[in-house]
Amino acid sequence: MAMIDEPLYPIAILIDELKNEDIQLRLNSIRRLSTIARALGEERTRKELIPFLSENNDDDDEVLLVMAEELGVFIPYIGGVEYAHVLLPPLETLCTVEETCVREKAVESLCRIGTQMKESDLVDWFVPLVKRLAAGEWFTARVSSCGLFHIVYSSAPDLVKTELRSIYGQLCQDDMPMVRRSAASNLGKFASTVEQGHLKADIIPMFEDLTKDDQDSVRLLAVEGCAALGKLLESQDCITHILPVIISFSQDKSWRVRYMVANQLYELCEAVGPESTRTDLMPAYVRLLRDNEAEVRIAAAGKVTKFCRILEPQLAIQHILPCVKELSSDSSQHVRSALASVIMGMAPVLGKDATIEQLLPIFLSLLKDEFPDVRLNIISKLDQVNQVIGVDLLSQSLLPAIVELAEDRHWRVRLAIIEYIPLLASQLGVGFFNDELGTLCMHWLEDKVYSIRDAAANNLKRLAEEFGPDWALQHIIPQIMEKINNPHYLYRMTILHAISLLAPVMGSEITCQKLLPVIITASKDRVPNIKFNVAKVLQSLIPILQQPVVEQTVRPALVELSEDPDVDVRYFASQALHACDSVMMST
Amino acid sequence: MWKQFVRKLQKKSSKSDAISDPSCSSRSKDSGASGDSIQKTSGSNAASNRSATAAVKRMSSAVFPASVVAGIEPLLSFKDVPNQEKQNLFIGKLNLCCVVFDFNDPSKNPVEKDLKHQVLVDLVEYVSAGTAKFSEQAIAASCKMFAINLFRVFPPNNRSSSSGGENEDDEPSFDPAWPHLQLVYDLLLKFIASSSVDAKIVKKYVDHSFILRLLDLFDSEDPRERDCLKTILHRIYGKFMVHRPFIRKAVSNIFCRFVFESERHNGIAEMLEVFGSVISGFALPLKEEHKMFLWRVLIPLHKPKAVGVYMQQLTYCVTQFIEKDPKLASTVIRGLLKYWPVTSSQKEVMFLSEVEEILESTSMVEFQKIMVPLFQRIGSCLSSSHFQVAERALFLWNNDRIVSLIAPNRQVILPCIFPYLEKNTQTHWNQAVLNVTLNVRKMLSEMDEELFVACQTKFEEEEQRRAAAGEMRRITWERLETAVAAMKPVSGYIPVLVSNLR
Repeated sequence: MAMIDEPLYPIAILIDELKNEDIQLRLNSIRRLSTIARALGEERTRKELIPFLSENNDDDDEVLLVMAEELGVFIPYIGGVEYAHVLLPPLETLCTVEETCVREKAVESLCRIGTQMKESDLVDWFVPLVKRLAAGEWFTARVSSCGLFHIVYSSAPDLVKTELRSIYGQLCQDDMPMVRRSAASNLGKFASTVEQGHLKADIIPMFEDLTKDDQDSVRLLAVEGCAALGKLLESQDCITHILPVIISFSQDKSWRVRYMVANQLYELCEAVGPESTRTDLMPAYVRLLRDNEAEVRIAAAGKVTKFCRILEPQLAIQHILPCVKELSSDSSQHVRSALASVIMGMAPVLGKDATIEQLLPIFLSLLKDEFPDVRLNIISKLDQVNQVIGVDLLSQSLLPAIVELAEDRHWRVRLAIIEYIPLLASQLGVGFFNDELGTLCMHWLEDKVYSIRDAAANNLKRLAEEFGPDWALQHIIPQIMEKINNPHYLYRMTILHAISLLAPVMGSEITCQKLLPVIITASKDRVPNIKFNVAKVLQSLIPILQQPVVEQTVRPALVELSEDPDVDVRYFASQALHACDSVMMST
Repeated sequence: MWKQFVRKLQKKSSKSDAISDPSCSSRSKDSGASGDSIQKTSGSNAASNRSATAAVKRMSSAVFPASVVAGIEPLLSFKDVPNQEKQNLFIGKLNLCCVVFDFNDPSKNPVEKDLKHQVLVDLVEYVSAGTAKFSEQAIAASCKMFAINLFRVFPPNNRSSSSGGENEDDEPSFDPAWPHLQLVYDLLLKFIASSSVDAKIVKKYVDHSFILRLLDLFDSEDPRERDCLKTILHRIYGKFMVHRPFIRKAVSNIFCRFVFESERHNGIAEMLEVFGSVISGFALPLKEEHKMFLWRVLIPLHKPKAVGVYMQQLTYCVTQFIEKDPKLASTVIRGLLKYWPVTSSQKEVMFLSEVEEILESTSMVEFQKIMVPLFQRIGSCLSSSHFQVAERALFLWNNDRIVSLIAPNRQVILPCIFPYLEKNTQTHWNQAVLNVTLNVRKMLSEMDEELFVACQTKFEEEEQRRAAAGEMRRITWERLETAVAAMKPVSGYIPVLVSNLR
């Protein structure tokens, strides 16, 4: 501390560290760029720090990435928005590096700065930057430029606007497919800032060019943007320009293109209106639902509910429902799984009769699917299910499915089902729960996988919250007491964990009478891990228990543990004793 | 049954090329005649297709007089028609093969499939015999047939999409149509290589779009297919000078997409293999364009995590460049240092091997340009906690060429690596690494005893200073931060804004 009086040279610190050969140190200092800037003050930041960064961009990509990110939020440190243009040069350079992540982050930061800049500043500083990048020699600069047009376009004077549109048009026809891809994926964003008149004259031709590109990958991104573009157009223009493209894409020979269409179709329906939806898009959608390629069917099946919502119920029943029936016995489990995750939403659309007659059988067959994910997806929409078919029918078909999933050989599946148990409990009510599921819940406490045991303990707590302490006292506590004597210490530990979770729910009295004795007994366990967990649990119980109990029961046990031969046990016991003391002090 | 099949085939093929095929109208007229003749034998004609082909062969000479030209029966054998007819038969057979069958269902059209197989075999034989010059019409028909059969979209890659790492050792998915595809590839290769095919005409049909779609096929999961493509691409590059710049550009676009966008492509190794010989054919002095390819495409190809799959071919390409122009060595090594792997020890071992290979052909002048950063990097590899990396780095000293580069520059290099060697002797867990370290250490100390001792002293001093420097750094930062915290915020809204954005 002797050198406390030495003056600080923030930029010197940064320079020193940015030259260090240890990348970790370079990263640390670049992450604290704002600290340095504040220490320097606004003016010196503008005049010294930013130029320094502009010149020192030959570092590892990792450092550059952080720099690109930091500069995006740097406006406050350089003196506010009127100086924002100072930040552009270093970011411009970062837009041209090879590493994609850095470029993307730099573009993101530029957008963030650009949206705060004044219109006149945008024209003076940002527009030239966009033009420079768009004319960049290597594709990296041109790729980055595509993501910046939408920031400047609306602020630019008419002459510049014309120029910007024509530059974008050139980017759409660039020699490198990388640039065309970037132009295709940013077209929607750019189009949203372009005036209606120019949309038709300039943007639509660009879109049409891109959709005819000889590279699959470019066409693909053009489809991806078509919904965004369609929403900008008048419905009539959308029908004449976008709709034909989409219809032909829905029969493209590349499954990737069809997949994209399946994903976009729903949004496109909103753009073209109900009439064209019925005549053109619905047949296309039905084709996609019956596509040869499972990937396409997955995408289409995932949208089935959304699609039905915008159709008249009659049409949905007539055209979509038969496909849904087919999909429910699709050969691909992933298709069935995608269907299962959305199918319940169809019920309100179809109305009660159609639901019971047609949807229910599909739903029940999915619930018995051989693939666990399918069943899980149905069960996860349990609240919706309940509304549709009622508790009785549900419990009949649901229970076997649940029991089977509860013993699935993949622990992730078991975990997923445990997480739905509280929801299930609240939907089905106490009566149903006691008979069937109670045993399952206890069973999971002795699972071979830690995550399951952990989730099982949590589950008990949530059940106790749901059904109240009295119920828990009857149905959970007795069984827990039994299991604390399990010969394997890991299972005993799970029970301890469960107790610590249950105690706050059960309240002071039950904890004192029932739970505490069990813990105290456990403190005499032969396994040190149990003992230090006892110490931890006791510490967590202190706030719940009443003062005399703490002093008479808890403290002696802890004192004993604090003299244990095992170092960890002693450590946690002393921690807990500290906690006792501090409670004493505060009362 | 026969008649139906032939008609069906003809109908399908003529439907798909109704505009481009001038022969289809006359053929339909002719099919009545062939139908008649076939009907005579149809009673005895069993389902067996071999005997059926034989039957056609037998009757063909009788049924088709030499005067029927355009509508020639495509199932005839080449040796059964007069020479002037062969070209037409060739086209007829090609058109027949434009029908693509669904192989996903083996029970579908088994007879037709076998027949197409036979026709393809005939075609391959005919082209490899290379007797007559091919007419433009024949060339056009061939290229159309290649396009229809080969250019297809691969099915989704289930290995990566479904359940991630769990079934990594799945078989790559093979196209069930391979028996046909293989013959078509064979035919394409023979066709491109054939001396009786006029390159000037072919290049009109093997155009940019044809090449692009051919390159797309390199993403096939089937190594046999990629192997065919490799040979074909090589031949195309050799034969069509005008397409060379385009092919180079298209392939480098694929590489760039792989490196900067998708990181997924099955055919990088094969394309690099073709490029290995392309590079070795570059004229000297190297054009700027080619050097750009080295810097902007080949060097970045070191980055993707799957580099191991094509490292051998990549290294070959890189060393080809250096052999052409030894002045590139320092730039290449700088590039390698830029993409040096951070977490993958396997890749690190590969990089060390490539460095060794490059150093073998590096001149002293070039070596001196990069030795400091290079040996700092090698130094940190020397004491890698992964024993294979450490061993690989230590083995560089077994290479006489490298030792002869190091020896004259020991004043610079030894200080770079000494701390790492010392660290190894003190703490490395692996016995083998420890032993080799001691050997290298001994070698270096014998090289220059005095320098060695100086390094040792300096190392000990540094060690002591380092802890202090770390502490200094911490304190400086702390002071800076307290100073900043004491300042008042630049303006009211800023701290909120900043914390929101992170």
